[in-house]
Amino acid sequence: MSELRAVRNLRICSKDCLCLFVCPTGATDTETGQIDFEKCIGCGACSKACPSGAISMVPYKYPKQQDKDELVIEKLRKVISSKVEQEQIAHYIFENGSDKEKILAKILMKSNRLITEDLYREAGYMLPQSDNTKKFLEELLEKDNTNKEDIKKLLELLDFN
Amino acid sequence: MRKYICPICGYVYDEAKEGVKFEDLPDDWKCPLCGAPKNLFKAEAVEVIVEEQEEELREMNYGEVSALCSSLASSCEKQYLEEEAQLFKKLADYYNSKAKIEGNFEDLINKINNDLNLNYKKAREISQEKQDRGSLRVITWGEKVTMILKSLLNEGIPTDKKIYVCEVCGFVYIGNAKPEICPVCKVPNFKLVEVVR
Repeated sequence: MSELRAVRNLRICSKDCLCLFVCPTGATDTETGQIDFEKCIGCGACSKACPSGAISMVPYKYPKQQDKDELVIEKLRKVISSKVEQEQIAHYIFENGSDKEKILAKILMKSNRLITEDLYREAGYMLPQSDNTKKFLEELLEKDNTNKEDIKKLLELLDFN
Repeated sequence: MRKYICPICGYVYDEAKEGVKFEDLPDDWKCPLCGAPKNLFKAEAVEVIVEEQEEELREMNYGEVSALCSSLASSCEKQYLEEEAQLFKKLADYYNSKAKIEGNFEDLINKINNDLNLNYKKAREISQEKQDRGSLRVITWGEKVTMILKSLLNEGIPTDKKIYVCEVCGFVYIGNAKPEICPVCKVPNFKLVEVVR
């Protein structure tokens, strides 16, 4: 199997369709607009031909995640805990507050969630294929009785490195 | 004569150039670049020293599991891993539905003050020491967005303006015309998505 596959950023694609002319397998011509990953052989011809830079080549196998210092993780996790609490308090206000309070609460929920997601990337969970993610899922599988199948499926699908 | 700097986008209000003292500007004056309110502007950094209570890293609670799952869902999406992204999203929603904390706006302001005066400060210090620029990035963006959230909590949201949230960093913009780029993370403005009332 090839090490790379082509992916198309639909926001940038200017529909010049040079990728269609150069693709040796027809993988770039699909009704969804995305590359047919089954057909793509990873040759990179589409990516080089694309005049708008909308196609990039991404690996199947990702390199190991960069190490993070334990102390940095500890301090970031403190910010995370606080932001998660704030999202939940905002959620409570959203469900129980007046209409005027609801809109502010909705924004706070959304913004805090985005901040937290980003913090987790820097706190050791940048890569879904990392050891840290694997360990997280394995531990979750032990405690969780409702979503066992989904967690198992994730452990099976992700190509851990 | 002093200079006042917008902590969000870096705009500098120079009293010498403007000819008007910063304190004489009306209270509803806003940063001409990013719309940050007047009271966020700083003349100089004020050091706040707060003693920290040490505690062990404990297991993740439901809310944290949910946030980590949605973070991983977003990373899977970026890698065009659709099925994995959907599964992580499902887990995020499940754990989110189990996470509940009661509280009010005052609690939120207290937590935000604690983030700005303690949590982010400590995280910044150690990230600088370890030269972890990725962490410094997330801290810089997060602090700025937190300041904007604090000002929204203090001032409320005007009813006649639109609301946009940056889907990358969480920045909230109040106003009818979006800035060209997000003033915090600099992503083009198609990532600033309107929140409908």
